[in-house]
Amino acid sequence: MNIEVKMGDIAVAQPPSNLAASAVGSCLIIIFYDPGPLIGAMAHAMLSTHSLAAKHQLKDTKYIDPAVDEMIERMLASGAKKGNLEARLVGGANMFPALKSDIGKNNVLSAKKKLEEEGIRLIGECVGGSIGRSVEFSTTTGVVTVKTKF
Amino acid sequence: MDKLQEINKEAAINASNALSKLIDRQVSVGICKAEIKKVAELSPLIDIEEIVAGIYLPVKGAVIGAALLIFPKETAFTLSDLLVRREPGTTRKLTELDKSALKETGNIICGTYFAVLANTLQIKLIEQVPNFSFDMFGAIITQIITEFAQNAEEALVIELEFLFKPATLKGYLLLLLNVDEFRSIVGGAL
Repeated sequence: MNIEVKMGDIAVAQPPSNLAASAVGSCLIIIFYDPGPLIGAMAHAMLSTHSLAAKHQLKDTKYIDPAVDEMIERMLASGAKKGNLEARLVGGANMFPALKSDIGKNNVLSAKKKLEEEGIRLIGECVGGSIGRSVEFSTTTGVVTVKTKF
Repeated sequence: MDKLQEINKEAAINASNALSKLIDRQVSVGICKAEIKKVAELSPLIDIEEIVAGIYLPVKGAVIGAALLIFPKETAFTLSDLLVRREPGTTRKLTELDKSALKETGNIICGTYFAVLANTLQIKLIEQVPNFSFDMFGAIITQIITEFAQNAEEALVIELEFLFKPATLKGYLLLLLNVDEFRSIVGGAL
């Protein structure tokens, strides 16, 4: 069964449930996995925290930093160990190549900075460009599948 | 809001007439809505993984906003045939010429729509240069929502549906306007 993670949401899952997010553009999909107990988490964040966080609630998971904090908290509560966590990033595109927009790029940079601060290893990424992506994450195998229109 | 619905309807008819003239086919208006919504809660017009041509025009002037014209893949191909005078059914992949013609279509439709809205409400709306994307609808719309959400959480959302006759092809215009700016200018109209 696939749990669809919508914009601004977070989900934690274990086999047989898998995690998925469809038609991702500038948003960033953050995937965490603890391969020991096979616990996975996915966040579908919209924006980095720069200059905007003050306007919003601290735990607003539309933003990268609060989303990562919430993912860690919920994974540890499910039995994962922080030292085992592996991260992957998908998305962060600019869908309009001629438009000067740094939303996607800033999302990726912001997530990498936060992962470094938290000491979580980034083991894979499929980010940037000007292409939409749909992503599926198998909690059984730890495999991330990214589909594009091409 | 009633006054705005009336203006919206008139602007929609003008925009569909402009499109009709451009492609020499009858175009009518289907859905025609104007409402205030939270931008993050916009419900998708079509399936989020459907491939569409999206023409995005940022809006400046008295009110900041975003206009997005959406043509599902088959509609975009049919329009391209009509716009660049090819045999119907020829286009299976969009060339730079097709993209340029579709962007110009976005310019004309939005320009016609804005002219009615701006003239009736006595406000200045300026459409910026059109931007083009051919990809999944959800990926396109979420970037526009995110761009808009940086400035405002709520929007005056205008949704129009264009129906092409005799075929059952559709196109959509989605317009997001900063609701606070809009209110402060038009007051009683909302």
